[in-house]
Amino acid sequence: MNFDWSVVWRNADALVEGTKLTILLAVTTMAIAIPGGIVLALMRLSGVRALSAASASFVELFRNLPLILVIYTAYYVMPVATGLSLPPIITGIVALALNVSAYNSETFRAGIASIRQGQSDAAFALGMSRWQATYEIVLPQAVRRVLPVLASTWVSLFKDTSLVSVISVGELAFTSMRIRSQTFRVLEMLTAMALIYWMLGYPQAKFVDWLNRRFGISE
Amino acid sequence: MNTSETERHAHPRKGAGAPPVVLYRDVRKRFGDFIALSGVSMDVRKGEVVCLIGPSGSGKSTLLRCTNGLELIDDGEIELDGTLLPRDWEGMRRVRQRMGMVFQNFELFPHKTALGNVAIGPMTVLRMTRDDSVTRARALLDKVGLADKADNYPSQLSGGQQQRVAIARALAMEPEIMLFDEPTSALDPETVGEVLNVMKRLAEEGMTMIVVTHEMTFARRVGDWVVVMERGAVIEQGPPEQIFDAPRVDRTREFLSHLGWSG
Repeated sequence: MNFDWSVVWRNADALVEGTKLTILLAVTTMAIAIPGGIVLALMRLSGVRALSAASASFVELFRNLPLILVIYTAYYVMPVATGLSLPPIITGIVALALNVSAYNSETFRAGIASIRQGQSDAAFALGMSRWQATYEIVLPQAVRRVLPVLASTWVSLFKDTSLVSVISVGELAFTSMRIRSQTFRVLEMLTAMALIYWMLGYPQAKFVDWLNRRFGISE
Repeated sequence: MNTSETERHAHPRKGAGAPPVVLYRDVRKRFGDFIALSGVSMDVRKGEVVCLIGPSGSGKSTLLRCTNGLELIDDGEIELDGTLLPRDWEGMRRVRQRMGMVFQNFELFPHKTALGNVAIGPMTVLRMTRDDSVTRARALLDKVGLADKADNYPSQLSGGQQQRVAIARALAMEPEIMLFDEPTSALDPETVGEVLNVMKRLAEEGMTMIVVTHEMTFARRVGDWVVVMERGAVIEQGPPEQIFDAPRVDRTREFLSHLGWSG
């Protein structure tokens, strides 16, 4: 078997563009899914039955469906159902954000529940409103506590962005596959793709380890 | 209550002439089947230090938590400066701004420095500027003897220091009355004194204080009025001389003897 690694260099520009898009997908998704997760968690813990039920339904739906199914559904069903025809990249971000928000919601819920009642009591005793107690006292502590979990969700998300290639979003996986089918250099392109994902992912995983050491054991 | 009336002549109440700041009228509170308060009536006069003593589970802490609405009462009335306390959460929020509370486990905010802990109340609740809040916080830390610990996080402070920060945090709201819920129970013995000294100084400045405590020496020396509770009810109240030297109720005598207090 002879290899032609030059196919990688010849398509370097496309791969760089794909990588940029992968990073953009992950960053945008997380930027939506962190506030999304917090809102869902606060709804769940609000004590208002309708809000709590809505949040629980959302979370249990999207946490238990395969991501690829959500992506396909968003791509094929959403335009028909809503009359809204979005570009594939937006559709991909919507699908990813739905999934990751559901996961983040559970993460934040656990974090908030781990802050003892006495902390809220102390905030209330100062005259803070429920919102002030949540925003100033409970959430900052909860976020710190779940930072390592959020970081590993991030690492998963970074790799899961490859799934949106099925709806032709030109991110790293899609670009690699396209080059592969044009050049028939299967092994070269798979290797290149693996290396790029790994080189981007490994430092992130190490960073998570560091976060775990730094924040994992608190107080 | 008759006890205190008859005893008034022997040991006059310090705040006898002062108006009641807090007045409890037949206050009742239950948690499920457990009756925490079974009709408590008493009052706290302006500038008085009222100490609540009694065995664990007698309702002392519950009464304190009902006073600032962390628990809402089921029945009865509580008045603050002659005005009935509201029964709703939002109404109580405004009332709480006029009362400071100090907890057994300090409950300092671990993500904020000592200074941040003291400044957060004025900044968020009173909407003071950051500069003004910090200035006030520094003055209060100085008052409790911790000016040099302003930038330390709670985890870097001893229990006694944390509790003094907690007192400063409560004072930052410039409360009319301070509530202390067993403020020294979670402390190492060697740091109890520094907290009690801060409380004593507050009392000397004329702060109205309600103190749930097991520190009988503090109740005797600093307390102006001692209330003995058992099973959610007040069984005896009077000046410390009466409670500690000549209790009128057998159960008071029994309780004090269990503490090794021989009068």
